[in-house]
Amino acid sequence: MPVFVEEEGESAFMFKKNSLNKDRYGYYFVAPFFLSFFIFGLGPILYSFYLSFTSWSGFEEPVFVGLANYERLIHDEVFYQSILNTLIIWIFSIIPQLSIALILALVLHEKFIKGSHFFHAIFYFPNIITPVTLGVMFALLFDWQTGSINKILEYIGIVDEPVNWMNDPWMARAIVALAIMFQNFGFNMLVFLAGLQAISKDLYEAAEVDGASRLQIALNITIPLMRPVIIFTLITSVIGGLQIFDAPLMLGKGPDNSTLTMIMNLYETAFVRYDYGYGATIAYGAFVVIALATIITFMVPGVRNKKEV
Amino acid sequence: MKNVKRLYVCLLLLLAFSILGACSSNSEKESSAAKNDPNANASAPEDFKGTLEIWTFFADVEKMAVKFEEEYPNVKVNVSVFPGDQYQTKLMNAINTKTDVPDIFDLEKGYMGKFMNQPFVADLSAMGADDLVKDYVPYVKELGTGEDGSIRAISDHSSPGAFWYHRDLAEKYLGTSDPAKVSEMVSSWDKIIALGKQVKEKSNGQVSLISHYGDAYNSEKSHQEMWVKENTLNIDPAWETVFNNMKAIRDENVDAKLGYMSGGWGDALNEGGVIMFANPAWAGFMIDNENGAAAGKYGLAKTPSGYFEGGTYRAIYEGSENKKLAYEFLAFIAGEEWQQYNLEQTGNMPALQTVYEKNKDTFTHEFFGEQKILDTYYDLVMDIPAVKATENNDEITTLWYDAASEAINSGESYEKALSDFKGFVQNQYPDIEVK
Amino acid sequence: MKNAAGTLPPYEREWKKTKRKSLFVKTIIWIFLLVAAIICLIPFYSMIITSTHANADITRKLLLLPGDHFLSNYERLIDVVPLWRGVFNSLFITIVSTVLGLYFSALSGYGFSKYRFKGNSFLFAAVLATMMVPGQLGIIGYFRLVNEMGLINTYWPLILPSISDAFALFFFKQVADGAVPKELLDSARIDGCGELKTFHRIALPLMAPAIATLGIFLFIGKWNEFLQPMILIFDTELQTLPVMIASVRSQFNVDYGAQYVGIVISIIPVLIVFAIFSKQIIGNVMSGAIKE
Repeated sequence: MPVFVEEEGESAFMFKKNSLNKDRYGYYFVAPFFLSFFIFGLGPILYSFYLSFTSWSGFEEPVFVGLANYERLIHDEVFYQSILNTLIIWIFSIIPQLSIALILALVLHEKFIKGSHFFHAIFYFPNIITPVTLGVMFALLFDWQTGSINKILEYIGIVDEPVNWMNDPWMARAIVALAIMFQNFGFNMLVFLAGLQAISKDLYEAAEVDGASRLQIALNITIPLMRPVIIFTLITSVIGGLQIFDAPLMLGKGPDNSTLTMIMNLYETAFVRYDYGYGATIAYGAFVVIALATIITFMVPGVRNKKEV
Repeated sequence: MKNVKRLYVCLLLLLAFSILGACSSNSEKESSAAKNDPNANASAPEDFKGTLEIWTFFADVEKMAVKFEEEYPNVKVNVSVFPGDQYQTKLMNAINTKTDVPDIFDLEKGYMGKFMNQPFVADLSAMGADDLVKDYVPYVKELGTGEDGSIRAISDHSSPGAFWYHRDLAEKYLGTSDPAKVSEMVSSWDKIIALGKQVKEKSNGQVSLISHYGDAYNSEKSHQEMWVKENTLNIDPAWETVFNNMKAIRDENVDAKLGYMSGGWGDALNEGGVIMFANPAWAGFMIDNENGAAAGKYGLAKTPSGYFEGGTYRAIYEGSENKKLAYEFLAFIAGEEWQQYNLEQTGNMPALQTVYEKNKDTFTHEFFGEQKILDTYYDLVMDIPAVKATENNDEITTLWYDAASEAINSGESYEKALSDFKGFVQNQYPDIEVK
Repeated sequence: MKNAAGTLPPYEREWKKTKRKSLFVKTIIWIFLLVAAIICLIPFYSMIITSTHANADITRKLLLLPGDHFLSNYERLIDVVPLWRGVFNSLFITIVSTVLGLYFSALSGYGFSKYRFKGNSFLFAAVLATMMVPGQLGIIGYFRLVNEMGLINTYWPLILPSISDAFALFFFKQVADGAVPKELLDSARIDGCGELKTFHRIALPLMAPAIATLGIFLFIGKWNEFLQPMILIFDTELQTLPVMIASVRSQFNVDYGAQYVGIVISIIPVLIVFAIFSKQIIGNVMSGAIKE
């Protein structure tokens, strides 16, 4: 017998017996995940948390120092600067990265593109080239004296003197952002494509019969239906994007530490200076920043909304 | 009541076991070191037997192992290579948890100071190592010496730097390619700056004498006092001279502004555009020598001061049950036979002065034609001040360079560089007092 | 053109204009795609070409023409490391991890999406939160944990954590939210399917494109994993390919030539996996399933 259930302002017909009573089965579905998670995932995280209250050079036993590390952290200018750098680089890279990924996914989803999975592979290639190659490539492109970009600009006559790109804080950040964008747009494109493939073809056909244009279909049908996947990309881009590390590391710290990211700072503190206790504290400082950014993202209208049940 | 009693018994038992456990593990350690060592009475190479575990971060150590096994037929050497920076983390974890720690582990010059004075590193002096390194180049010996004055780690090489110059360019712009004469022309940074200006003029700005002001830093950076004295930041006034040299080089347009080991730098090293490069002896891998293209192409001139870059040191694990054999291995790589072989095979400079002396008048390298390069390197390597490896001296030096180069690139003064530098140090090493 | 078009009847003119416009748009799109493809292809191509060059060239040029050092680079590589053993080790770890990771993440993502059990949101938020803790220091605690469990120098600590991949869980939850309609599940239940059977029969096929996509990510992620095996595996024979490749270096410098040969070899399985899964992403599983 159908009953009427109110769900977060949305109403739906549901078979009470067949659906609501099944909810406890959910535990069985997530149990293997949490078994592994409690054994392998949580331990190291808690251990790092413990380390953040200690002073430890890696050799003797860690010495408990209470909140001393956290006190140092809130007065640490380099930490704040690394937050700012990370956010700037993140914004520079994430906006073009997601836009390009979404546009490419929509375009490649069009029927008239022949051999589209050939393009899938190619656009994903930047994600599998080695950091060394990427580093060499960007260093060669933006080198002060011998870089191709300067050569081209000088040839066209836009500049008279070669530009020392990596000597300008904003330019350095933009170049790091460019490297990250180049490396990751293919990844997000594939995620978007997976979301697109899950949309029923019938809907398109119906819209086409109604005479809707491509753009109208994309805006009114495709993107709303991709909402869960777009949310996923957005949230993981915040979580992952604020932990950028590899690409900036191979391009250096930049002038005035302008491309020193939070995780680079963590890495240097722990693994170069052997200040593991404070390194762990930076990790949890970064955690707070990332968590705040994620919460803010969830508050963007349209992100945190009902879930389909 | 019953429960409380049971708890008591349990606690007592636990205590007893833990004491017993502690005792037995201690005595076990001592006896195993003394009694279980099958090589306790061994003296000739054939007498030694057993397996030696070595950890390193580069694969070449296997060549060492092969040579050692040839000499010691009853010994098997297992070399495990763990690449990357995180080799340190692995080593540290293994040592902390006493999990499969090797008998011998390699330490890179950059971080050896952090490991060397720890109690898990065996005191090699107690095993007679002072004798092994008595003829060593002073700086190599001293780097392996711990804070207490005992030998803690031994290297099989030195890594001096010098100017590598293009012979054809030197002939054209300096008027000579004779190493002694070129060395004389670049024997101080003032001379280099003056000469650099002439070269720029003569070549209409096409050719630079040196590649980057970084050379003036690299080749001088080991001649200052240590950064930390009595836990206070100690800034040697000599650093200002280094800064002024760097700044003059940039301001007078002497350098080609090509960063060390960058792509453009590599091109200049191979194809010209820059006359000379301050390179360590191991930089040969950057030279394109296809079909002998680089034969006799370069000359070796002395830098104003002796300097070195990099180095690998080998230490023995204090808890090893195979110390005597491990020591044999270190003695082997500290010996003339191996270092001579290594010089001929890889071009790595020896650590023994005796090997330098033996090869001074004979050893030539393809890139440098007939020049007796060990003669040049020997004077330079002996000029390098002997200092101990410390926990953070190298890293603080890098901070100074970061601050200095930023100031120079943006046209700021040394005062600005110094205040930036002090800020960096204070931030990264809050325990060091900065005045 | 204008005159010629002007003589045509209005509707036909309109039609031609639309066609011309759409042809124009298509050409622009094609040019855009091809330019983007070339930009992405050059570094990848250069990476492969690099393996045929000598060390002195590698760090200073973006190489685009093949050289003749491939064999000598290869010989130096296999001279130092048991390369093919490493390929086997890596394949074993990666395939087992990917399969486990895909199945259990899909299972739990579906569980979070379709069952409103008590604590659902809290548990999910907790998993999401662990993704926000930078993992670099985790390796130290993980080493100790694995050591306590006596699993050092085994593949277990490399494989088992794949079951609880937070990223994959999140992905599958979102995909199940969007791609698995409740009505289908309910009708399966009415037909008498058990919960697990419903998942296998209905949900998994519906999530196929997502599984293929994530399969690529998990495979490549595990295949390239460096730090974990380097720290947790002690025997050279058991080591994975990336660690073996990275160990080809001499005292002072990296043997890039030999390393790039290793990288090229290690890319082959990635391309194969990509080819297999990529078809699945395109494969039109959806419409069939819905129409059923």
